[in-house]
Amino acid sequence: MGEPAALRAMRSGDANARTPPTGRLRERDAIGSSIAVRDAVKRYGSFHAVDRISIDIEPGEFITLLGPSGSGKTTLLNLVAGFQSLDSGEILVDGKPVHNVPTHKRGFGMVFQSYALFPNMTVSQNVAFPLRMAGVDRATAERRVAETLEIMRLTEHAAKSPSQMSGGQQQRVAIARAIVRRPKVVLMDEPLSALDRRLREQIQIEIRDLHRTIGSTILFVTHDQGEALTMSDRIAVLNAGKIVQIGRPVDIYRHPSDRFVASFVGESNLIEAEILQKRGSTLTMKSRAGYVFSAESRDTIDVGRATVLVRPERIAVSNEPTANSTPVNVTSAIFLGEILRIEAQMEGGEPLLIRCTDMADRPLPTVGDRLHVSWGAADCWVLA
Amino acid sequence: MTSASIGAQADRPADLDLVRRLKDPALLLLPALAFLAFIYLLPLIDLIRISVSGPSWSSYFERVFAIPLYWDSLVRTMQISVMVAVLCLLFGYPTALLIHRSRGITQALIATAIVLPYFIAILIRTYAWMVLLGRNGPINKLLVSIGILSEPAQLLFNRGTVLLGMTAVLLPLMVLTIYSSVARLDQSLTRAALASGAGPIAAFWRVLLPLTLPGIGAGFLLVFVAAIGFFITPTLLGGPGDQMFAMHITQQADSVTSEGFLQALGVVLLTITLAVVAVAGRFLGFEFIWGGRKLTEATPTTTDRRAADAGRRSIGTSAADVIGWPLLRLFGRLPASFGTWTVGLMGGLVIAILILPIIVVMIISFSSASYLTFPPPGFSLRWYEQFFSDSNWMRAFWTSLVVAAMSAGIAIVLGASAALGIVRSSIRGKSTIMLLLVSPIIVPPVVLGLSLYSLFLRFDMVGSIFGLAAAHAIGGLPLVVVILCASLQGVDARLEQAAAVHGASSLTVFRLVTLPAIMPGLAAATFFAFLHSFDELVLTLFLSSAELKTLPLMLWGDVNYRLNPVLAVVSTLEVLLVVVGLVLARPVLATSRKAT
Repeated sequence: MGEPAALRAMRSGDANARTPPTGRLRERDAIGSSIAVRDAVKRYGSFHAVDRISIDIEPGEFITLLGPSGSGKTTLLNLVAGFQSLDSGEILVDGKPVHNVPTHKRGFGMVFQSYALFPNMTVSQNVAFPLRMAGVDRATAERRVAETLEIMRLTEHAAKSPSQMSGGQQQRVAIARAIVRRPKVVLMDEPLSALDRRLREQIQIEIRDLHRTIGSTILFVTHDQGEALTMSDRIAVLNAGKIVQIGRPVDIYRHPSDRFVASFVGESNLIEAEILQKRGSTLTMKSRAGYVFSAESRDTIDVGRATVLVRPERIAVSNEPTANSTPVNVTSAIFLGEILRIEAQMEGGEPLLIRCTDMADRPLPTVGDRLHVSWGAADCWVLA
Repeated sequence: MTSASIGAQADRPADLDLVRRLKDPALLLLPALAFLAFIYLLPLIDLIRISVSGPSWSSYFERVFAIPLYWDSLVRTMQISVMVAVLCLLFGYPTALLIHRSRGITQALIATAIVLPYFIAILIRTYAWMVLLGRNGPINKLLVSIGILSEPAQLLFNRGTVLLGMTAVLLPLMVLTIYSSVARLDQSLTRAALASGAGPIAAFWRVLLPLTLPGIGAGFLLVFVAAIGFFITPTLLGGPGDQMFAMHITQQADSVTSEGFLQALGVVLLTITLAVVAVAGRFLGFEFIWGGRKLTEATPTTTDRRAADAGRRSIGTSAADVIGWPLLRLFGRLPASFGTWTVGLMGGLVIAILILPIIVVMIISFSSASYLTFPPPGFSLRWYEQFFSDSNWMRAFWTSLVVAAMSAGIAIVLGASAALGIVRSSIRGKSTIMLLLVSPIIVPPVVLGLSLYSLFLRFDMVGSIFGLAAAHAIGGLPLVVVILCASLQGVDARLEQAAAVHGASSLTVFRLVTLPAIMPGLAAATFFAFLHSFDELVLTLFLSSAELKTLPLMLWGDVNYRLNPVLAVVSTLEVLLVVVGLVLARPVLATSRKAT
């Protein structure tokens, strides 16, 4: 598949090497809006779908609302879009309140999970729709539609009806429609969940590149933590109508604020341990099985018990005991290709999940094998 | 890009509140409700008022029940209605199964054979039976030629023909109601029963029948309620001993002296009908009237409804156990294909009963004979010539077209806005409003005609073409509301959101997304509202004048006085109209079925 020149130039970063033709999308051509949600509340009867949420989104930021179903992420998106009205609180776009502005005057773009392409219009008519609504003149509209279709690699499908296209193609049309007006804000409501895995990964990359190209603020909703980690500048993790944690993907993954985030984002081992000693920011801890290890903590806990997060890939495995290791019994071992996924049991009966790279000199462990595991202070994170 | 407007709008929340209130879709219900209040509720209330205006409130009713003629007629009406409902169920259920089990072109043909008669005027279908069973009709000819009868006998004007005629007229209603509940079933349920070791009959008895019980109940009650108010078919096919209650009302309406007593007759009929519907609605939910699913509304009564459900289910189960197992053992000895044969045979019989009369009438319309006889001695177009050259017939034809067009116009404007109001607003009491909008379907036409007659007299509207169209629209409105509510509920809300978020105002969203999506429903609703008015006879009997005669009214006069092939011509034209309408509506119906 040929990649459009405009995009290739952008991606390789040599946009100034040749002058882009006028009208083409250029890097940071449009700068996105800032969005501020303040104390937003949305109730259905006694159920608080959105419960006093506040969030500040920077201009041009790619922010993901991540959470299980019922966490309020879609309601929050609908509030920003204007499909539902706030019970209290306010939403500001570029510092101006929008909660009384009807949806069609907010000037956003939006991609839906179900594509929501107009079945009675062709691909190019669908993409032209927002321009038509904005009253853009015909010649400009045609040019912008053509450019957008080229970027989304849909040029040859322009005259088709949406029903003649595959799911992936339909979703690219939906994206084209959302960005054709160069909106300052693009809302995406689980846009990839109807696609198969390969296609999903491909379009994830396309959306990331697109974001860098058009510079809009993107508010992306998903329940897929992998998707959120791959795509976002920042992730807001929601649970039960509240934001539990907000931060860069790496921070969310490495330093989750609580058990919910730790187990919802990525795979995790949550180990109950007793704090033996504190020296500086380093704690010496003892698990129920009696394994003594040290852990880094930014928190001010120094006595009692705590839950320690150890990511499965941070666990070192060997067949022989090493310094500071503890024995485990393998209960299941699955070969996933580049890595092994091992479930094991610690001495005290606590389950332990391990992911390690496959190595040629090591035989695959089988159920009942005894392994020795260990982790260092930097590999674990003490939860509050 | 729209920051200026954003700022300007946000500063006036007070104005916005008013605007929002004026934009509330619930306001769209007002025109239809006002229309019904004036032309439907008000006359009915007036009818009740007159009926209790005697020396004491009950004096007219005492007279009704004191005269054996009326009491006997009431009992007879109940007997006939129950019989008709039982017959319809007996023949309708296998037919519904037959439609469900057949595939492709066969299914389309069977479905057409059921649906087509459903849209043809009751008057015409009754007339077809008169032709079929007449002295020179095909049945008599057949019986004589086989030798069962030595000479043609009088087959008409007895209880048997009344039952046959009414059953034939009401069968499509039963079949369609049951079919909708059969079609909603998950096919794999029957398969699961078979795979679990149930024979076909056991699977029917334990799975299919219990799950379609609500459909059976709804069909039975709809047929029963319709039969109670029947007037045309028993008048034409019955003898002196088959007088039904509704017939007394029209007979009394001719004599001026019976004011008050006449209204009391109407109120009795109305009360019985409403009582049956109320009891049925308590058990089935009032949605059974329009065959719809529940409107999305949080009803606080869900818990007791569930309790009631459970109670009914346990009664049903124990009944099935007591009656079912002995029966099963009995039927278990029958060959496995028994069920298939029964369904095929009874379904075939039903189709013959529904289609044959129509075909016979169509053939007779091309007869060269000057009286009704079948098979015709020769073919000619003389009756068509006579119809098209007779200025009375042509005037009636045009009147009918104009009235039907106006009536469809009124029904579609009021009905469409009401449907929008029902589906799009978030007001409370939607079910009640829907019930009111749809209720004209169940009020016996004779009662409605009687009540409207007083209203029209008072406002000097008898014989007014607009008045007649408005009266017909009372019955057209429920059709439009039901069809368009289903269409609107099928509209993908995401599409409307997608249009709105990309800059389309509410009106533009409606024009570009909603309207195209409900267009099929709108077309179907228009057609049905038109047809309803075009076929309407009973209201017209009360509301027309010598100058304002519609086609059904002319037919009615002729059927009663001189049965000739011109009627067959009119019938054939009506069948053509319905066929063309259905063919045009076919893609429409297909898509709306997909949506629901």
